[in-house]
Amino acid sequence: MANLLIKNGFVYDPLNGINGEKMDIAIKNGKIVDKLDVKRKKTIDASGMIVMPGGVDLHSHIAGPKVNSGRMFRPEDHFKDVEPKTEKTRSGVGRSIPSTFTTGYRYARMGYTTVMDPAMPPLMARHEHEELNDTPMIDKGAYPLLSDCWFVLEPLQKGLIEKCAAYVAWTMEATRGYAIKLVNPGGLEAWGFGGNVRDIDDTVPHFNITPREIIQGLCKVNQLLHMPHTIHVHTNNLGKPGNFQTCLETMKCVENLANNDKPVIHVTHCQFSSFKGSDWRTFESGAEEIAKYVNTRSHVTTDMGQVVFGDTTTMTADGPFQYILYQLSHNKWINSDVETETSAGIVPFRYKRSSFVHAVQWSIGLELALLIKDPWKIFMTTDHPNAAPFIFYPKIISWLMSRAAREKLMKKVNRRALHKSLLPTIDREYTFAELAIATRAGQARSLGLKQKGHLDVGADADIAVYNINQEQVDPSKQYKLIRRAFKNAAYTIKDGEVVVKDGEIVKSVEGKTFWVKPELSNPIMEISPRLKEAFEDYYTVQYENYVVPEHHLAISHPITVKAEV
Amino acid sequence: MGESKFLGYSLHRPQKPLIRKNGELVEASLNEAVKKSAEILAEASYPILYGWSNTSCEAIRVGVELAEEVGGVIDNTSTVCHGPSVLSIQDVGFSTCTLGQIRHRADLVLYWASNPWSAHPRHLERYTNFTEGRFRSSAWNKYLDSLGAYRSERRMQRAAKLAGEIHGLPVAAPSVEEPVQRLPHALFEKERKMIVVDVRRTRTADIADYFLEVEPNKDYEIFQALRTLIRDEELEVDSVGGVPVEILEDLTDVLVGCEFGVLFFGVGLTMSEGKLRNIEAGISLVRDLNQFTKFIIMPMRGHYNVTGANIVSTWQTGYPYAVDFSHGYPRYNPGETSVVDLLSRDESDAALIVASDPVAHFPKEAAKNLIKHPLIVIDTGTSATTVFADVVLPTAVSGIEVEGTAYRMDRVPLPLKKVVRQPKACPSDEQILRRIIREVRRLKKKGGRSNG
Amino acid sequence: MAVVSLRPKYLFKVPVEAQCITPDVFANKNLDEIAKLQLWEGNKQRTLGELFEIEGEATDKPEDLCIHVHGDVRKVTRIGADMSAGEIMIYRDAGVHLGEEMKNGKITVGGNADSWLGAMMHGGTIEVKGNTGDYVGAAYRGSVKGMRGGTIIIHGNAGNELGCFMRKGLIKVYGGTAQFAGMHMKNGTILIVGDSEGRAGAEMTGGKIVVSGKIEEILPTFTIDSVKAKVKVNGDEVAGPFYLFVGDKAENGEGKLYVAQSPNPRLKFYEQYL
Repeated sequence: MANLLIKNGFVYDPLNGINGEKMDIAIKNGKIVDKLDVKRKKTIDASGMIVMPGGVDLHSHIAGPKVNSGRMFRPEDHFKDVEPKTEKTRSGVGRSIPSTFTTGYRYARMGYTTVMDPAMPPLMARHEHEELNDTPMIDKGAYPLLSDCWFVLEPLQKGLIEKCAAYVAWTMEATRGYAIKLVNPGGLEAWGFGGNVRDIDDTVPHFNITPREIIQGLCKVNQLLHMPHTIHVHTNNLGKPGNFQTCLETMKCVENLANNDKPVIHVTHCQFSSFKGSDWRTFESGAEEIAKYVNTRSHVTTDMGQVVFGDTTTMTADGPFQYILYQLSHNKWINSDVETETSAGIVPFRYKRSSFVHAVQWSIGLELALLIKDPWKIFMTTDHPNAAPFIFYPKIISWLMSRAAREKLMKKVNRRALHKSLLPTIDREYTFAELAIATRAGQARSLGLKQKGHLDVGADADIAVYNINQEQVDPSKQYKLIRRAFKNAAYTIKDGEVVVKDGEIVKSVEGKTFWVKPELSNPIMEISPRLKEAFEDYYTVQYENYVVPEHHLAISHPITVKAEV
Repeated sequence: MGESKFLGYSLHRPQKPLIRKNGELVEASLNEAVKKSAEILAEASYPILYGWSNTSCEAIRVGVELAEEVGGVIDNTSTVCHGPSVLSIQDVGFSTCTLGQIRHRADLVLYWASNPWSAHPRHLERYTNFTEGRFRSSAWNKYLDSLGAYRSERRMQRAAKLAGEIHGLPVAAPSVEEPVQRLPHALFEKERKMIVVDVRRTRTADIADYFLEVEPNKDYEIFQALRTLIRDEELEVDSVGGVPVEILEDLTDVLVGCEFGVLFFGVGLTMSEGKLRNIEAGISLVRDLNQFTKFIIMPMRGHYNVTGANIVSTWQTGYPYAVDFSHGYPRYNPGETSVVDLLSRDESDAALIVASDPVAHFPKEAAKNLIKHPLIVIDTGTSATTVFADVVLPTAVSGIEVEGTAYRMDRVPLPLKKVVRQPKACPSDEQILRRIIREVRRLKKKGGRSNG
Repeated sequence: MAVVSLRPKYLFKVPVEAQCITPDVFANKNLDEIAKLQLWEGNKQRTLGELFEIEGEATDKPEDLCIHVHGDVRKVTRIGADMSAGEIMIYRDAGVHLGEEMKNGKITVGGNADSWLGAMMHGGTIEVKGNTGDYVGAAYRGSVKGMRGGTIIIHGNAGNELGCFMRKGLIKVYGGTAQFAGMHMKNGTILIVGDSEGRAGAEMTGGKIVVSGKIEEILPTFTIDSVKAKVKVNGDEVAGPFYLFVGDKAENGEGKLYVAQSPNPRLKFYEQYL
């Protein structure tokens, strides 16, 4: 591996307080080093360009059973967006649900180097990792869906937090997962019989537990296990007018579990949970209320889930919500429930500028990003592909950085929605530093990935260089240049190697799969024979077949944490 | 059935690779056979790579890579079997779940054009009516009871007849049984119940709570009729598919009134007239039923890893089968890029068959055109296809001698375990395919050839 | 009109993808340049001149150009795809995807055409003297966007799923069709002068299908509306009398299925519902 020196770029490293200074970055053996005392090094001239840590995406549906079912049932999504095979890259198809190789290449072209899949049914973990293995260029991980697992609901219902923690620890290792994911907690179990839960204090049928108890319970478990990330929550009532209340309740219910200024909950794709109004006619944005709350608290982080108008595919573990989407849109619909654990639903969807509801949704995501003052609390995502395919990130970046860019689109959206939107009153424009937080530093910090999202000595040498000269370009006015620059990175460096140059893949690499291994301090808490017995009762697979062997991951990168249990 | 596969596997296996020389298949070294295979594939203008359903996912991944490298068409047995299910899903989606959900929750099971008692013998025991679930108990006892009741009634009838003969009493005329006009009461109870719908009475039908006999090739009409009836709308015909509308109306009540229903459908539905549209109608019915209750649909799949073949193909190429790489990127158009169709039109000029026997199973015209051209077979035993091959590469048996992953019919991934040590001379499918790719790349570099 | 003639140099074995054969692409090129146009023969890249003998004279404007295709081109796919002007005349049988996504212009086939004829067409006219395969005017797999304009005329018989997911336009079949004509139709008009094998109008939500010949059964999810003396097809009147059925009720559809009365005595029982 060559030593590398990136010279003269405008460096943005918010985690280390570097804000656009002209600096050199030195790389040796895949890590960032102080300086290179060696003669043999390759130099990249980054003069007139911006240097940032490689992009980090903490919530993007890129792999696994439901993503693949989506791919399978939408050949019409693929056939006009193809990637021919080249000497260095495998062929594939794209648009809203790209094939795995194409997913990796397209992220890398935009300067992204770490992407997390946020929804892995534990029973299908093997499938998830096989797809991640075939997703090149990026480091990755997956979050097991735990909020409706019987082995979680049962101990939590009895108040046995430590027992639940032991099970979660075992599952995290068995599925090679990274974080505890909650989706419509309790609602998915109810969906097993076609039902749902109405709010966080509704009782889950047959289990005598409320979503509030599940959220609080798993939050405590997360703390006991010292997980690097917080609990990652897709709230109840997602997509329902008036659900901003549920979102606030969800954030409030773990307020007193925070013992210092560090976050204890991450509310994901917050746009879908910030709906005000009582029905689709009176529908409006609840972003202001959410922002007000988040601005005065330090225990919550969120990500946008920003809508981009056009054709995409919605896919989440929220079975009941996806069924509602089917009823609204009359598009084809896949539903796939997973025994003992969770569910999934997929519906193609088109966001139209002329639609009142969609235009309000578009506004909500941006309002959240612009009204929440601290960029460490709100990250840029589209919940790919739910609100938009990830290839539209550069467009969203231009909206964040340029009021003019927002206004241009505002002129074309539904008039009634525009009338109700707060956007016309918002002047704020993201700086490059804030952008670096929203798309890399903040996400990496939230994930607890210590070697990502920054450029300090010891960090993984995952770096993106964008061809934007901050001294000559005004992002507010020249947002088209911003879009172009972030669409095709001048350079993407992964583990110290140049893998993308001018938006083209020059070297294909495999990334690592991150997963968390909680080490229990009390060996008696190890998975008990009773659990094994219950296992055979609950599942239709054998206990030994459930565990994903570590060697099944192409490049396994465990992160060990010491649990308090 | 599974046992015989396990225990019989080592009979009838070619031990060494074979190459056809002067019209005869003779033994050759692995190197030679790999080289010849690579030559055939690299030169071909439209090679097909077919089979894949009886091998592990690891091998299938390499297969896709090879198809891409040689600019060919990769297709799996979906094309002759459950392909129509895939096509329907692409048009309307589907509502499904993993088998455990059925075990725990289903109170109504419909087997439509499917006979699990013969084809998937463990199905009832493990997943449906005869198993215990968290929210449902097994219907086995109920079945035994009803079987017992049926048998005792028969015994009593025989006894009565015998008594009449011994004592010279006039034998009571057997009561004329009224034709069953409506559905049995059992179908409206809370416990597990099973309905079988088929064109003739099968072994599964014998143990069902209700058997609905339908005319062949009328499934489409029956599904569509049910879709309309569940919305309380009326039909203008007296019967559909040989079934009186009153019975369909009763059936509608059962469907809507259950707590969790599941419709399993067999290959019969994909084969009968209407093909993919039959499945589509079934999926649409199940989808519409979700307005009233929880209902799911699932295919009863045959070849053991055909689901895996679809899944791997989809994540790597975007498409589940019939993937054409001839232009350098994946293209998909069943009917055009599916192997049976393109063989029938005699469009390909070379073939690699992996773990499959198309000569025995394909339509005559397609099989004829298959053997006309250079044919490479990678398999664990002899078959009708190996007889006509130009190169035969024997491999180890996945799931017995080689580890890997396979996908169950409900898409749950399972590890294939090694039970016996791999014979030295027999590499795995994955290993052989990797060697062939390496050799193809070497040849292409040498020849400065590009496949687009 | 200027004419460029093509004739295959040999009998093609593997599929030849020739979406370069359109007046739009040929226009403004001389014969040498036309000969250099790229196409695929299986997985090999070739030029048009390697595979076809090319004669005649092109012109600048595609609307003034007619391409004549002689010989056996059954394995040549995508001729006329995306074309927006001019004419193509195929003397014998044509391959699959003929005129796919065509926007305007005219294609004529002297023999039979294969499947996916005029798939996803936007406009223009295709006329086939012989029979066609399946999926005429249809949408791509998984898509709901079928033919949305233009006219397809088939003098022989058509296969299954004629006009699948059709949105607009006109298809006329003088022979008969196999099953599922007008499947998932949203709008547009289909006229079948001959017999329909059955299941016509399945899942239709709008549009008009007229069957002048025999049809064994109507789907149970269609209801009889009335008897009509005649029906208009693209401005022309077709004489009945016709049973008018409305459906597909399974999709809450309001499509119209006209079935001629006299060839179909088995449908008489519907009259009791009038």
